[in-house]
Amino acid sequence: MHLKASILWKGLFSIGALSLILVGLPSSAEDAGTLYNTTYDVLQGERYFERQCSRCHGFDAKGNDETGAPDLTGRLSRANNPVGIFNVVRNGVPNTAMLPVDADLPDAQVWQVVSYIESLRYDPASVELDGNPDAGLALFLNNGDCASCHMVNGQGGRLGPDLSRVGESTRPEDLMTAITNPHEDVAPRWWTLEITGPDGVTRSGFRMGEDSFSVRIMDNDSNLWSYQKNNIASIERIERSTMPSYDGAMSESELDDLVAYLFSLRREGN
Amino acid sequence: MNRFLSTLCALLITTITAQVSAQEQEFETVMTPAFSPITWERLVNSKEEPHNWLMYSGSLDAQRHSSLDEVNINNVADLELKWAYQIPEIDRAETVPLVVDGIMFITEAPSNVVAVDARTGRQYWRYDHELPEDLRICCGRNNRGVAILGETLFMSTLDAHLVAIDARTGNLLWDVEVAKHDSGYSKTAAPLIVKDLVVTGMAGGEFGVRGFIDAYHPDTGELAWRTYTIPGEGEFGNDTWSGDSWKTGGSATWITGAYDADLNLIYWGTGNPGPDWNGDVRLGDNLYSDSALALNGDTGEIEWYFQFTPHDIHDWDAIQVPILADLNIDGQDQRVMMWANRNAFFYSINAADGKFLKGSPFATQTWAQGLDANGAPVRVPGMEPTYEGIMVSPPITGGTNWYSPGYSPDTELFYVTAFDGEQIFFKRDEDYEEGERYTGGGGRYDQPMDAFKSWIRAIDPTTTETVWEFPIMPRSSAGITTTSGGLLFSGTADGYFFALNAETGQELWNISLGRRVHAAPITYQVDGDQYVTIASGNVVYTFGLDE
Repeated sequence: MHLKASILWKGLFSIGALSLILVGLPSSAEDAGTLYNTTYDVLQGERYFERQCSRCHGFDAKGNDETGAPDLTGRLSRANNPVGIFNVVRNGVPNTAMLPVDADLPDAQVWQVVSYIESLRYDPASVELDGNPDAGLALFLNNGDCASCHMVNGQGGRLGPDLSRVGESTRPEDLMTAITNPHEDVAPRWWTLEITGPDGVTRSGFRMGEDSFSVRIMDNDSNLWSYQKNNIASIERIERSTMPSYDGAMSESELDDLVAYLFSLRREGN
Repeated sequence: MNRFLSTLCALLITTITAQVSAQEQEFETVMTPAFSPITWERLVNSKEEPHNWLMYSGSLDAQRHSSLDEVNINNVADLELKWAYQIPEIDRAETVPLVVDGIMFITEAPSNVVAVDARTGRQYWRYDHELPEDLRICCGRNNRGVAILGETLFMSTLDAHLVAIDARTGNLLWDVEVAKHDSGYSKTAAPLIVKDLVVTGMAGGEFGVRGFIDAYHPDTGELAWRTYTIPGEGEFGNDTWSGDSWKTGGSATWITGAYDADLNLIYWGTGNPGPDWNGDVRLGDNLYSDSALALNGDTGEIEWYFQFTPHDIHDWDAIQVPILADLNIDGQDQRVMMWANRNAFFYSINAADGKFLKGSPFATQTWAQGLDANGAPVRVPGMEPTYEGIMVSPPITGGTNWYSPGYSPDTELFYVTAFDGEQIFFKRDEDYEEGERYTGGGGRYDQPMDAFKSWIRAIDPTTTETVWEFPIMPRSSAGITTTSGGLLFSGTADGYFFALNAETGQELWNISLGRRVHAAPITYQVDGDQYVTIASGNVVYTFGLDE
């Protein structure tokens, strides 16, 4: 895969020199906080994050189920723009473990944290891809036969993740890996469980839900099954993907087209 | 006239007496008021009143074992919900309630306490502690419970205060500042009553604090003694810290300890040295971080210590509840302190002198080849956190953590919630600033949490071998309670409350409560009926048998 322009932080397009001049001057959530988003600012924000925020949100900002701190690398539930993120960091979230930052912390530093958190997500506009999304759509529906397993906007199969918004959360290089080496990173939801139930029948299906005492699967005919673990004869977990690799099954340019199509799948206006 | 009055009085008295005896005949029920004052003698002998749960770990030896057996292996599957109490603040509940003669005291996040009828869950009173806005807390707004002496409850608060609350009304009796919250100190653990003193620890190990254990006079809140968990200049052990690093070395004391009345020793664990993951700035063994301390019950002086993880660089606090029991180890009857440590090793230690007896891993670990004859770890080289990151097992949250283990004198087994996991550890360079986090790194997982497993493991403390294990979903943070009904109760990260056969590990009963269990169960009795209580999510659930 060839990326014409490597992925650039939004900040590199802004006026980095001006931000250096303004460091130390008072600012607020209402003003142009995005001035503090040069590569230097992002790194400073990361440094602050690692020290002050990572205990709950994780060193990779992916959250922590034990502390209840949310994943900050995906869609945020309490803010949808830099000003919103600034307000959450500055003020905290009342009645939760998310405390405000030190009141003495200069706004400039809060903006650096905001820039770091922003950098964890992707600005699709900064990416130009080799492939042709329209050609990719044709491959998706025809040669690739992707739609027999994957849904897009309500159309398609149930045997793989819904891809309607896959472009919002997945980088093009990760999409390429998922197509050419699907076993590399399989989410637990898509592991396969082979369960021999109390009826003596062995069924295989996707791991819809598993907990300490029960498990639920969907088989290839979309049947949903629920088991109590103390009531089953055996259970085997297969942490590989059920998807075939398309490495070699498509030409390099076809793979680029497919990636371009998948990367274009976002909510309108996102 | 006088005679007339006398006759009238006599008649009235006769009439009233007749009415009372008529009532007594009509109503067979005899009511007694709930709650009675708790003396030190009652706390020492708490096992003689199993209908109550009088302290965080149930008894001073911290076994978390109840001799109640109305609910047992034969009928536990018939447990049904009796009541639920919804905590108004949406946060996680790490509370271990106390029960005193029909009244339950439940603490809530951030630093509140409520008294309810233990039969119905309906409220008598509540106390809401006012908190400042500039709290410094590392890991959530937690409170794990209260202690009781006389008619007074004692509670730690997130702003590093200790408060005394009237157990009958919820009125605040006194409120003392234990340490400065804006310097990074906080308090989350239930205090422990030792004779006529309130013994209490502190949190803040991620903020460059200097740890200590305090004892306060219950009537006034006046400080009786303070024992620092990092020796000061000129004291033994101060030279185990390079330079001035002892001043900011952490070693916090954020879980409740145990006490032995015969030995007059308080047992208390200490947390990680700080900064957590960068040991370059604090060369040496860093005493008494990651240690078990045995303190004189009157003076707080350190009688002995046992350091589990010298010069820790993985944040493996020795913040576990110590459990005491009489055991025969290597042919000798002795008082033993059992300890399943965050570093993934289990230890049996002589409780009188701190001598290491036995030890071995109880969860997956890659950092040590084993323990030497004195119980010190024999380290695997190259397991220190790096700037690029290095994979080590157990992860930061450890082979276990703060959640209570249990011990049953019936089975003579020690029970722990264990986690088999691994994590990438990173090191960072940081300068200390008062009130700021001072951790020097962190960690991240390389796999989804579902790739790992947690277990209830039953360990024979005389051999330190695991006798049985029961799998649960990963990273559980629930404590364990056993009963003379042959039962082990615990909870899971995926929101179950369950019972196992304590002898065999066989599953007997479970119920999905829907949200993560961060707390330990308790059991108690009111009017002859046994109840079992657990907090899950933001709800305190109580179960019992059909009457």
